[in-house]
Amino acid sequence: MKRSSKIMSVLLSALMASGILTACSSGSTTTTTAAATTTAAATTTAAETTTAAEETTTAAETTTAAETTKTTETTAADDTSSSGTLNYTGEISLMHFSTSEESEGNGGSDGFRTVIAQWEKDHPDIKLNQTVLANDDYKTQIATQAAAGDLPDVFLLQGMNTKAWAAQGLIMDMTDIIKSSPYYSEYNQNYFTPFTDNDKLYGLPVLTGGTCTVVVYDKNAWKEAGYDAFPTSWDDVKTADEYFKSNGYKETIAFGNGGQWQINSDFLSVIGDRYTGPDWFQSLVDKTGAAFTDEEFVKALTFTKDIFASGIFNDDFNTVTNEDAREYYISGESPAFIGGNWDVSYIGATLKESDKDLYNNTGFAVLPQPSDATGSTNTQNIGLGYAVSLNSKLADDQDKLAAATDFAEYVTGPEFSSYVAKNYALSGLTKVENVDLSAFDQFTQDFYNYSYVDTNTCEIYDSYVSSAVWSVLNTDLQTMLNGDMTPEDVAKAAQEAYEANY
Amino acid sequence: MLSRKPKAITFLVYLTIPILLYVFVVFFPLLTSLFYSLFEWKGGPNKTFIGGANYTQLIHDSVFWSAFRNNLYLVFLCLIGQVGIAFIFVMIINTRYIKLKGMHRTFGFFPSTIAAVSIGFIWTMIYDSRRGLLNWFLEKVGRADLQQVWLNNSKLVMTLVSIPLIWQYIGYYMIIMLSATAAIDTEILESADLDGANAFQTAVHVVLPMIKSTIMVCIVLCVSGNMKAFDNIYVMTKGGPGNASMVMAMYGYKISFEQQNMGYGSAISVGIFVLGIAVIGAMQLLQRAISKEEVI
Repeated sequence: MKRSSKIMSVLLSALMASGILTACSSGSTTTTTAAATTTAAATTTAAETTTAAEETTTAAETTTAAETTKTTETTAADDTSSSGTLNYTGEISLMHFSTSEESEGNGGSDGFRTVIAQWEKDHPDIKLNQTVLANDDYKTQIATQAAAGDLPDVFLLQGMNTKAWAAQGLIMDMTDIIKSSPYYSEYNQNYFTPFTDNDKLYGLPVLTGGTCTVVVYDKNAWKEAGYDAFPTSWDDVKTADEYFKSNGYKETIAFGNGGQWQINSDFLSVIGDRYTGPDWFQSLVDKTGAAFTDEEFVKALTFTKDIFASGIFNDDFNTVTNEDAREYYISGESPAFIGGNWDVSYIGATLKESDKDLYNNTGFAVLPQPSDATGSTNTQNIGLGYAVSLNSKLADDQDKLAAATDFAEYVTGPEFSSYVAKNYALSGLTKVENVDLSAFDQFTQDFYNYSYVDTNTCEIYDSYVSSAVWSVLNTDLQTMLNGDMTPEDVAKAAQEAYEANY
Repeated sequence: MLSRKPKAITFLVYLTIPILLYVFVVFFPLLTSLFYSLFEWKGGPNKTFIGGANYTQLIHDSVFWSAFRNNLYLVFLCLIGQVGIAFIFVMIINTRYIKLKGMHRTFGFFPSTIAAVSIGFIWTMIYDSRRGLLNWFLEKVGRADLQQVWLNNSKLVMTLVSIPLIWQYIGYYMIIMLSATAAIDTEILESADLDGANAFQTAVHVVLPMIKSTIMVCIVLCVSGNMKAFDNIYVMTKGGPGNASMVMAMYGYKISFEQQNMGYGSAISVGIFVLGIAVIGAMQLLQRAISKEEVI
């Protein structure tokens, strides 16, 4: 008896210890995750750095060998004339998310990798220490480093972090740098707004101006349903839905909100603008009185709830991601899909290989107008979501700062813009005159016209304000689309998060 | 060979290494979390001391408490699923009708060696409403009316994300219990057999009391393991739809990294620690009460 109770007590204390250990490890989740991410980043970096130069060259060569060579030459000339020689020799750390996988088919990533490689070639004395992560990992990693006050020298800043990080003194005020940039007159000034705080500029917008909301549709299928183009009213879409459902389609529009952000970026940002107009959102950003609980915005939420309840979308829209949903379009199960420019480049690249007919008959349209919306019409949300930003600590080393500035100006400058314009019919921060569209196929031309010519533009919600607000709103929107929350409650919770965090 | 007892100092020196490691990876982060939780800290160098305000917010945070309830529900399901089913499997494997016992052991253990993220993806595919195995099966057996978008059902979603966890860890507990049953003297089982006990009676009245201590270990491992569940749920639903499958660790992650609210995130971590200790403590009291009852 005595012996067994002794064993028991040893066992119990072992249990207690293991209990504490496991509970502790959950207690310190934050720290553990941070450490884990760092390791992941380190691993990726190692792999990336070795292959980066090599792969970029390959990509450039396959697309436009001749053009690239030409570009490089002009670059070298530009460089000496504009910024003179750089005195800095040493390392510059750079973190971004244009991975080699991403750059296949994605013009912005390919262009960005290409100009980085060119800049490296032109500045052999400076070692660019690149950390390249997939976008989701990048966001976590950069937020962790910002929290630790340990940002890389040069990195990509997401619009919604501008105000918070500027307030923390983490990022450099680049107003003077930008105003004295050799390319200043060519910049599209609208793109700077998300990176502005109190008239100070905190970054050079980077990558390509891409829409976050576009209806991709099968022109033939809609013609058969009796529409020459995608309908401009939701009532017509609902009527078409009856036709499509009885003709073998699973749904009329495919959409994926499994990641919770899609309903915000790819839908509400535009529908909200249709109801509230641009001034409301500007006021929300400037904190001059607008609130999520304002009637027009609640109407936009109500509309969103109702249209998703109407059955024109795939029934699993709240669990599948946009990557899944666009497959419904590609496989012909749905005659239309709503997504962003990243989906369009994937759909284009895939259809070109697998379904030439659908590729040639794919059209693009803005979201139809809700019947009671009076804010704006024919809008789509387009912008540059990221900017090349500099660590404020660079101010301590003027030579290094000059080198980093030169890099930032170069990768967002005309070299990048003309590369993506020539190869992908996309547009960057600097304007490119007379883009020759005739060399491109119908798909690319149509998407260029949709993005930059035929439509009115509005802001991308989550390029602004604060991630804390969008995280709350996006979670509640998913609940609302399931019918478990009212639009009024969603607006109220978002407003509370806005007041507490912004 | 060892003729005399080592000096106390030798013990201490050898103990210092693991203790320092333990302090560094467990106590140090815990104390820093406790420290950060007293600040309003949105990341970066600037922090504002706000005392217990984060904890006041935590107490009134309905999402945190629903996440805690989800954790408890998960623990409950996994106790029945992981430990319970593992015990049944052990009893089946131990009967003389089962051939190739080694193979069963190996394959049973196999899922617990797979990364939780892969398990999450596999089960997401099983639950997929269009191409998933589950809906396909329902159609084949003529119950297409039961088909649904499984992971979008906020009432079922916690159960659905628990199933992969249960499936994954049955083998793990099975191995632990198999080693315990192997230590039981075969004479005891034979005499039970001679006395006319059937398989069920042998399991409940002979085997169960004899491996009681091992089962208690399994229970504690299961409780503590599921209080910190994160990865496979994150892959399958990200806590959705809405917050329907949110668990505490994921909520802490979401607040800290997605919303960049490190101060409140730290307060949540401390909350998880306190609740974790409380649940484990309650389990131990319960066990002590049970073993006392049996002694009397």
